[in-house]
Amino acid sequence: MEGLTSFLENNSIYIVLIIVLIVWGGIFTFLTNTDKRLKKIEKELEAE
Amino acid sequence: MLNKYLKYILFFLMSFVIIAGISFPIVDRPEAWYHFPFIPGLGQLAKIIFFHVPTAWLSVLAFLMAMIYGIKYLRNQDLDDDARSNSALQLGFVFSILATVTGSVWAKFTWGAFWHWDPRETSIFILLLIYGSLFALRSAVENEEKRAKLSAVYSILAFLTVPFFIFIMPRIMTGLHPGSANDDNLGPVVDFKMNSNMQLIFYLSLTAFTILYFWMWRLNYKSIIINDKLNKKLI
Repeated sequence: MEGLTSFLENNSIYIVLIIVLIVWGGIFTFLTNTDKRLKKIEKELEAE
Repeated sequence: MLNKYLKYILFFLMSFVIIAGISFPIVDRPEAWYHFPFIPGLGQLAKIIFFHVPTAWLSVLAFLMAMIYGIKYLRNQDLDDDARSNSALQLGFVFSILATVTGSVWAKFTWGAFWHWDPRETSIFILLLIYGSLFALRSAVENEEKRAKLSAVYSILAFLTVPFFIFIMPRIMTGLHPGSANDDNLGPVVDFKMNSNMQLIFYLSLTAFTILYFWMWRLNYKSIIINDKLNKKLI
């Protein structure tokens, strides 16, 4: 863990990369939720 | 759900912002159009501004839109407006969490620890609590119209605190976050230490994230509306 921290301190551009990945992860999670809702709707429509 | 051309624009704009934001070099004396200026104490970490600030901006925009559609609901009693308000609330919450997490990762490497109770961190924490309790309120009320009414009123009241917590309190108090009262940049970093290229990428990033927000918002509220209508039909 310490090695990683000191690596990131010396190469701080990777911290920016981590931050971009976190934002992308948040957007992805949100989209999966919407996807789940749409799948539920699809199933209900089929059951009708 | 979004204009075809706007989608293409979003794709290229966001790709450009990510590539430029990560790979454009930071130099002492910017000469070429793609050079970023060196900001003492930040170095490469200054590039977080292209990804962290837009998330904070989107949370403000989303909470503002939640309030606007809350007011619209109170005027017209149209449940679709409640779905739009709810969708904006969810997005606002997601983006404020993202702003908090990205900010705290950045803080670990600039200030030394993940959390400091800096005025900026404290204010976003309180905002998360305020809007988090709104979701608790929403899920606690069974009756649709009652829930919509309560949520609309709450989102108006909650938004009254947003300008104070986001724009005022962190600026009048001394703190570590850029733009605090004791920040020697004499104001927000945006205007003073960024050169025109950095500002250009920053505003392009804001534009790209705003288009992305509208896309996500529409997808979300349309699915909420269809889901509600279908449930009503089945009952």
